[in-house]
Amino acid sequence: MNTRYKVGRGWFIPLFFLSTFPLTSFAEHFDKNPFPSTYQPAAAPDTAITGAHILTGDGGEIESGYVIIRQGQITAIGAGQVPTSEAPVAQTIDGSGQWLTPGIIDVHSHLGNYPAPGYAAHSDGNEATSPVTAEVWTEHSVWPQDPQFPLALAGGVTTLQILPGSANLIGGRSVVLKNVSSRTVQGMKFPDAAYGLKMACGENPKRVYGSKGAGPSTRMGNVAGYRKAWIKAASYKAKWEKYDSDMVEFLATQGETDKDDKNAIKEPTRPDRDLELDTLAGVLAGEIRVHNHCYRADEMAQMIDISKEFGYQITSFQHAVEAYKIADLLADNGICSAMWADWTRFKLESFDGIDENIAMVDNAGACAIVHSDSPWGIQRLNQEAAKAMAAGNRMGMELSPAHAMRWLSLNPAKSLGIDDRTGSISPNKMADLVLWTADPFSVFSRAAKVMIDGVLVYDLSTGLKPVTDFELGLRVREL
Amino acid sequence: MMNRLQATAPTKHLRVIALLTTILVAPLAGADLLITNARLVTGTDQGTLINASVRIADGLITAVDTTAVNLAATEIVDAAGAYVTTGFFDSATTVGTSEIGGGIKNRDYTVYDADIGPGFQVSLAINPYSSLLPMMRVQGVTRALVRPAAGNTNFAGQSALINLGDAQPMVTVETNAMFVDLREEATRYSGGSRAKAILDLLDSLDEAEIYANNTKAYQAGKLRKLRQSERDLRALVPVLRSQKPLALIIDRAADIETVIGQLQPYKLKLVLVGGREAWKVAEFLATRKIPVVINPMDNLPSNFDQLGARLDNAALLTKAGVTVALMTEDVYTETRSLVQGAGVAVAYGLDWDEAIKAITVNPAVIWGLPGYGSVAVGQRADLVIWNGDPLEVTSRPVKMMVDGSWVSMTTRQTLLRNRYADLKDTGVPFGYK
Repeated sequence: MNTRYKVGRGWFIPLFFLSTFPLTSFAEHFDKNPFPSTYQPAAAPDTAITGAHILTGDGGEIESGYVIIRQGQITAIGAGQVPTSEAPVAQTIDGSGQWLTPGIIDVHSHLGNYPAPGYAAHSDGNEATSPVTAEVWTEHSVWPQDPQFPLALAGGVTTLQILPGSANLIGGRSVVLKNVSSRTVQGMKFPDAAYGLKMACGENPKRVYGSKGAGPSTRMGNVAGYRKAWIKAASYKAKWEKYDSDMVEFLATQGETDKDDKNAIKEPTRPDRDLELDTLAGVLAGEIRVHNHCYRADEMAQMIDISKEFGYQITSFQHAVEAYKIADLLADNGICSAMWADWTRFKLESFDGIDENIAMVDNAGACAIVHSDSPWGIQRLNQEAAKAMAAGNRMGMELSPAHAMRWLSLNPAKSLGIDDRTGSISPNKMADLVLWTADPFSVFSRAAKVMIDGVLVYDLSTGLKPVTDFELGLRVREL
Repeated sequence: MMNRLQATAPTKHLRVIALLTTILVAPLAGADLLITNARLVTGTDQGTLINASVRIADGLITAVDTTAVNLAATEIVDAAGAYVTTGFFDSATTVGTSEIGGGIKNRDYTVYDADIGPGFQVSLAINPYSSLLPMMRVQGVTRALVRPAAGNTNFAGQSALINLGDAQPMVTVETNAMFVDLREEATRYSGGSRAKAILDLLDSLDEAEIYANNTKAYQAGKLRKLRQSERDLRALVPVLRSQKPLALIIDRAADIETVIGQLQPYKLKLVLVGGREAWKVAEFLATRKIPVVINPMDNLPSNFDQLGARLDNAALLTKAGVTVALMTEDVYTETRSLVQGAGVAVAYGLDWDEAIKAITVNPAVIWGLPGYGSVAVGQRADLVIWNGDPLEVTSRPVKMMVDGSWVSMTTRQTLLRNRYADLKDTGVPFGYK
């Protein structure tokens, strides 16, 4: 048998092997990135933005300062004027009277997989045919011509995570996109961003499958479903690990033993590949992040126990409408909560939603994120953060816009594992920036300019914005 | 808008509350109440008055002063320079007829499976004890139109006007307008084509005219059989007589022109609701004096009726001379985004004062609520004291009244917040907190 073995870097290589054996003895069993990002930012002129009121996204604030952008990256930030020691730039944007923030990152969007117009032919967000569909990847449902992308850009959103819907217990893989105009999804993919796995608690899975006369139809059925899936995944992962260790042993004996030796170690049989279990095992190996749709406090606590039972980390609870009831538990377990500012009462499990949720989670030392899950909300995430900040202040907290900005930029970047490259205005990070006409925590403020990797992609003053193919020639008269 | 930081900084906030002390004095000439030192948004030609005072008695505004203030009153509230506005009016909501947006059988604003159209009356289902009502009013909303939604015919039925005070009755006008839905998604009620929906509407009106002119013959069984029930026919008569507006739910510009053109001979009082492409026919609407009720935050091309949806719809319509009112429309958000929507409309070009009018006096005029809508002598005392610019997302009412009575600011949500404000283990289970 001729097995092609190459150097691997996957979940199926336990760390201790790497320290014990030479790397070259391992295999890459299959391509883990078959739809690689082709995103390449356009060349952008080196730019200085001066005189702006800056919220850095990591809690910092400069009342009047500058940012230098070179080759699409932030190279300097500071208060006052650009130092004379700074090398010349090709253009200067006068930000006086305006506010500068990092680009907003929405960790929960369905743009592209529930595009506008919202007809059944465009309904591509829920593979609601089985409660566990870890094998689907949401990027295969994203339509890059969704006219909602440019609207989100006008709201200052530069990066977004597209998640599968919540019909399923385990809905499939997420994808992280840059909000750029592209003919292909690959051209929007945030380079080398980790994949996420969407899981869902509560009403949705049990309603979808209960109404089909299948399971789950109860919350206890939901939990049984997660656990059964993880048991399968653990066994799959162990099978590949055994294959790896057997192969190491086999390779080590190659050339040393006679081919006809009956006692010779045989080449192990390669396990069958399973697309669903590839993803779940990827979670157990810590390569894929779990983003768990969950409303109620009691259910979140149970999901935390399930994660401990099977040895994975929950990166974030999505919606987390009752996170305020267990903010201490979420802080202790290092789990982010991605929340709405004030959504409540739209379904029974959101009955206890309160306006102070985000502020209370933040106040407990847990990671708070403002998310949209809405093509309307994604256009106004700054306003949603402002509402949450004000709600906290009404109960006596002292939350500033500088602090609350973290909920829109650095915290979401952390939950997506891209905080080393974006999410705050810091040297060596991508120049993903929004210049606002006024304090972005005011309803009257609008994005004046948006940059992605230093490229000006939206400009209120000139009308620069992407226009999707869908929007062309629709005879909607522009004034 | 410049004082957002002032409005939200905790120290300032506490100061506002501290200054909102109520001074109780011995009753002098009648039991009346005085709000002093207000930044008073009158909604009249007077505009916004600084250091103004408002006197309230028997549920009505009895004086508005900026100079010599007679301090004789049973209760004086010093607004400490804060904004004071009329309580706001949501021009279409389902509050009071549904507790939860989805997933439960609690949607009394619509009829799915019965033969009733114009005769449907949403007011009969309104629950004044819904815990949603206080949640809605602490956003500064004191009035609303509760709308029916089409579920079995294009006619959704008759809407009601409510107040959000603690006093009963909550329903102020039981049937104030007739709603008919002629959008793409409602074509299924007329057999497929929107052309048929328009013909059905005309037929319904013609039948109602026959009924109105021959009621006795109809009741004696001497008239030819009519398609609609007597309840439906009876409900259409005030619409025919221009006593109640016909609210046309239409988004597409072409349909707006067609339907209004077809209805021209009937000389009805028309209101356009939805109107996502109304800006395209703003002149047409202005000429005919047809007001428009919109959701100011919906700019998505969600279907082919709404391709032209845009955030400056309110600004463009107002500029053309159309009377605009704002609604929240969405079931699950209820009226919680009304004020934010008004702020967004301002960010997209609507004059600030016009935005206030779009959630006060304009809906009062459009929907027929006399005596409400501005801060002026003789008007109902629906007043809200704010902790900042009332249209800011960071602002909230500090104290508010409906028809001259202060309302509680406690909601189910504030009780939940208080219960979980401190998670430290005190040995007392949360159920006892």
